[in-house]
Amino acid sequence: MSLESRLRSTLAGRTEEEKRVLALIAGFLSIVLVLVVLGPVVALTGLPLPTLSISFIISTLAIAGMYLLLTLGLNVQWGYAGLVNFSVVAFWGIGAYTGALLTGAGSPHELELHPLYGLVVAIVLAAVLGFAIGLPTLRLRADYLAIATLGFSEIIRIIILNEEWLTAGGLGVGGMPTLVSTWPLSFTTPVLDPIADLLGAQTRTVHDLVFVMLLTFVVFLLLRRLQVSPWGRVLRTIRGDEDVAAALGKNTYWYKMQAFVLGCVIMAIAGWYYAHHVRFMTPAELDPIDTFYIWVAVILGGSGSNRGAIIGGFTVVIILQGTRLYNDFIDSILFFLTIDEAALRLLLVGLLVILVVRLRPEGILPPQREHIWPAALRERAGEEGEQ
Amino acid sequence: MVDQLPAAFVEWIVSNGQLFASGLVFSSIIILGSIGLALVYAIGDFPSFAHGDLMTVGAYTAVVVNVILGLHLAIGFVVAMVVTAAVALGTDKLVFRPLEGRAIELLITSIGVAFAYRALIHMGFGPSSRSYDVGGRGGIEWIRETFGVTVTPRGATIVLTTLVLVTALHLVLQYTTLGRMMRATAENKELARISGIRTQRVLAAMWLIGGALAGAGGVFLGLELVIRPRLGFSILVVLFAAVILGGIGSVYGAMLGGFVIGMAHELTPMIGAAVGAVPLLPAFGSEYDAAVAFVIMILILIVKPTGIIGGKTSA
Repeated sequence: MSLESRLRSTLAGRTEEEKRVLALIAGFLSIVLVLVVLGPVVALTGLPLPTLSISFIISTLAIAGMYLLLTLGLNVQWGYAGLVNFSVVAFWGIGAYTGALLTGAGSPHELELHPLYGLVVAIVLAAVLGFAIGLPTLRLRADYLAIATLGFSEIIRIIILNEEWLTAGGLGVGGMPTLVSTWPLSFTTPVLDPIADLLGAQTRTVHDLVFVMLLTFVVFLLLRRLQVSPWGRVLRTIRGDEDVAAALGKNTYWYKMQAFVLGCVIMAIAGWYYAHHVRFMTPAELDPIDTFYIWVAVILGGSGSNRGAIIGGFTVVIILQGTRLYNDFIDSILFFLTIDEAALRLLLVGLLVILVVRLRPEGILPPQREHIWPAALRERAGEEGEQ
Repeated sequence: MVDQLPAAFVEWIVSNGQLFASGLVFSSIIILGSIGLALVYAIGDFPSFAHGDLMTVGAYTAVVVNVILGLHLAIGFVVAMVVTAAVALGTDKLVFRPLEGRAIELLITSIGVAFAYRALIHMGFGPSSRSYDVGGRGGIEWIRETFGVTVTPRGATIVLTTLVLVTALHLVLQYTTLGRMMRATAENKELARISGIRTQRVLAAMWLIGGALAGAGGVFLGLELVIRPRLGFSILVVLFAAVILGGIGSVYGAMLGGFVIGMAHELTPMIGAAVGAVPLLPAFGSEYDAAVAFVIMILILIVKPTGIIGGKTSA
């Protein structure tokens, strides 16, 4: 089978959107490849060309994994169930601070527990708090949840900033152990360390990258399974028309609560990973703008689609890292304008939210066949093949 | 026994008089902000998360007039009301109206608008904090002598101007054709349109009024606090608490809610001490002023989600 025919057969069963996204990914990857190859060339010749180092790509991907988890979590809430959660960063922060305070050497509690305790407590805490927020608001119209979660996000930030006995306040918490150096993951060290050396990257970053990508993959598979399950169908009905779901005898309140809590837990897991990846947490990281990076990712990717969430999450990471990477470049062109980088990013996110909702509310890769039970899809493909 | 109670109450008020006086000033600002938010909620049918930053627009407009051009703040105040109203109307035409009333899309878009306002202000004026070039920081002598509390001319101006604006809005809503059209549209948009009301014009008037009041509130907020790009966004939660307490979409509810929440916001140290007196509960200070507003909001959502004045009845 030649390469061309193999490519043809891969593309044959794809929708227009999928083909377009595949082309975009291929184009983007080839640009990255060129930039990486240019690295040694520039080092040798000193030409003023933009380059990418492999260690930069690896550290970006290790952070990207966290964004993908957050996007998948919000997709359960907004994409599956139509719930407007504006406290993504708060649940992320709860996970991160739980991990940091239980395991960090710089924690005021001096517990230095194993990271698994942090994970369990983070999940329980996020579930309890998500439940508490959902309790009064999920019975009401969707906008009440939006307002309550925006407030909740601010309160969590104020508490973490002010309760120094609990969270070390503005000083921050540091000294968390890395995840992969601890049992039960330490067996991977002999395998991954040579790879890291080969790539010229920090071994810790390579470990985290492999860990977070596996974690994201497991969450992705789990959510995809849930989406086609009866549970996922009920949530889609609620999102489309809650009265219909209620008329069919479904306890819509309880279903929305489950989706909300599940999303919050995934966000807390993302935060827990971040605490052990960056190994330093301050309350300043709980900026509400981070919540809306995730919102842009979900809507841009295609609300309700897990693949879309992954695409959207990557896109937002590229935008964020891109603005950081080429900040000097922009500065050198627009030297006559002193533009604050934080303000520029705020404007960019604001405009993206406005434009995506207006121009492409269904996103890049809206859910289509993802909603169909896979076996039914194969059956139909088989019937068409016979005809 | 019974006649001792009012005396104790008066004594309690007097002993905490300073907190109540500053609460009154802050309440006025929250009332101005939450009325506009309630108007949008009633007629536009979505919670505008950009309303706090609309107040920031007003505060910075007055900075331009008062600090940069060097004119009196009173002129800055009027200009701020006009400019903020124009910005609100322009945003509606450009951003909100094309979404044709899809509430959730409008809600999410309004966050984008909020960020865009704040980012542009941040770019134009920088992140540093500013203050108006106006006096009136010292206490008014006769008030201090009579009531034993310090009220600055600034505070007195804020309370009196708010009274005038709120009264004017009340008269417009109750006694003019525009007011009747607004109330009808808030009650039932379809029915209003069938009866020949040009709801688009009513919407425009609503944005102008809400924007102007937000501009006024923004200038007053800038008088009381330091002016920075995050000024308005940081009190958004307080505004929503006021609107939900009063009942979503009810202008009179927003006035009442704004008063209560504004007071609670300023009385936070007292509330914190009172909560601390209860066993097992921690005492807290003024850093939790937004949290107090939030907790009141959640309690209202549990007990009476329609708010005190309830539903979209009196707009």
